[in-house]
Amino acid sequence: MTQTFAVDTHGLTKRYSTGVLAVSDLNLRVRAGEVYGFLGPNGAGKTTTLRMLSGLLRPTSGTATVAGAVPGSSGSLAKLGAMVETPAFYPYLSGRDNLRVMARYCSAAKARIEPVLEQVDLASRARHKFKTYSTGMKQRLGVAAALLKDPELLILDEPTSGLDPQGTVEMRALIKDLRTGGRTVLLSSHLLNEVELTCDRVGVIAGGKLVAEGTVDELRGRGGAALLVRAEPIDQARRLLESLLKPENVQLKEGLFSLTVEPSQAASINRRLVADGVDVSELRVSERSLEDVFLQLTEAPTSQARKEPSA
Amino acid sequence: MIASLRAEALKSRKRWANWILFGILLLALLLLGYVITYLVLRNPPQRFESQVPASVLKREVFPENLLPNVLTGMSTIGAAIMIIFGSLSTASEFGWLTVQTILVQKPGRTAVLAGKLALLAIVTLLVTIIVLAATALTSYILVSIDGSSSNWPSTTALLKGFGALWLELSVWTAFGMFLGVAFRSTAAAIGGGLTYLFVGEALLGQLFRNTDVVKEVLKFLPGVNASAVNATFPLTFRNPNAITTQLVDAGRGVITLGVYLVVFTVLALWIFRQRDVTGA
Repeated sequence: MTQTFAVDTHGLTKRYSTGVLAVSDLNLRVRAGEVYGFLGPNGAGKTTTLRMLSGLLRPTSGTATVAGAVPGSSGSLAKLGAMVETPAFYPYLSGRDNLRVMARYCSAAKARIEPVLEQVDLASRARHKFKTYSTGMKQRLGVAAALLKDPELLILDEPTSGLDPQGTVEMRALIKDLRTGGRTVLLSSHLLNEVELTCDRVGVIAGGKLVAEGTVDELRGRGGAALLVRAEPIDQARRLLESLLKPENVQLKEGLFSLTVEPSQAASINRRLVADGVDVSELRVSERSLEDVFLQLTEAPTSQARKEPSA
Repeated sequence: MIASLRAEALKSRKRWANWILFGILLLALLLLGYVITYLVLRNPPQRFESQVPASVLKREVFPENLLPNVLTGMSTIGAAIMIIFGSLSTASEFGWLTVQTILVQKPGRTAVLAGKLALLAIVTLLVTIIVLAATALTSYILVSIDGSSSNWPSTTALLKGFGALWLELSVWTAFGMFLGVAFRSTAAAIGGGLTYLFVGEALLGQLFRNTDVVKEVLKFLPGVNASAVNATFPLTFRNPNAITTQLVDAGRGVITLGVYLVVFTVLALWIFRQRDVTGA
């Protein structure tokens, strides 16, 4: 069975006129119908990528198809709804009038305006001017504008940025709701729990390069598991563990040893410690958090990118 | 383009800044160009000195001089207002970042700017009609108050004057629109446009008008060419104080203005199509 991709990029690269290499040789594939999390630290190249996919920036090299067409072409834009970076609207217009303007631009039916206002829970404030909106309301209006065309593909750039905890929870619920009907959602974020809670698959970008891709569980698996051991006397336990494993695989933090080792070795390690007269009071496997994996994945490329001289 | 034009029309109609701008234009034109001028010339101060008597000068605001008076007034305040209007229409989109919100909707870049250009042309046409109608009405009221008689310009002259005013306002609007796209900053576009109009054309142009080298350069400037077109609509009386030698003839003036209109439009389109749209 052939897999269809809502977004498919090959060697996508963007170097700004200032010489900054924002995105380098990016190969990104977002499957139709999935919620894809585009994860990366600030300045990793997420927004630049989304701008290229929306046709706002022209790539320096590489190719891309978005919703089956060249980014920025009418064929692509007809099926794409996007909120890139800050939700930007006319401050002197009400929320409803802003949507009327956008509906006219994209030739969407006027009848779409009220349903999308309801969908983002903004109907009661739709007659108020955009400049009076809170950050959360602005974000929701941005999503509403992106939904006007009832798009096949939705690109949302940091949709929970600047939201309070309540707003963040509401936005997450909205994003989950948006995937209904087989819609593809490409969601960029630097918040790990956000993608963990909302996305089917995740791509991690750092220093302009895609450094990992997979489901959240797959990414967690990349980091391996750690074996946590609490044993006394500590010095004796450390000597024994370092002789069994290599010293770099043994770390002590707050009286708890963290061993980089296959979890299947837990029983044999326990036996050796007890046999040598070490009391083992705790022994458990700890899966590495997505945060640990994320930090591991993004640290090196980001450092490299910073060092890269600008042309 | 029709979709973009409809969107532009809604935005423009709901933007108070536009209404205020055109309110200022009408108020300044009618007050300074008509009402105050008439009041001063009707009851001139005792020490009023002029080669032309005030009783003749005041005919400037009567219907017979509708076209020269409107065209002269609009060459300064009108040009300035249209530069501001053109700049606001494009530069604001970059200031608010709404340009990216628009461009991720369906229309292409050319359609977006073409819609904007079409709206600017329509608004400029409406401004031309309203300005001529309002000044005609004011001059009619003033001549009635004065108890004098005055003839209206011929239909041919009115049509030519209307065309000249629309062309000149269109050029200044296109200039402002181009500056907005080029600078992507409202302040820079308006500041640059007004500085050019009042310092470049008006001040330096007048100061160095008789310098041979400068004179050759001046012949290519839009204000100088507009002035040549306006000179084909003379006052009905001779005013030695107001006579300026034109550097080009009216025919060349119309062609040059037309070229400016096309160049500003094409350049703005080219820049808008080529440039990346980046964030704040």
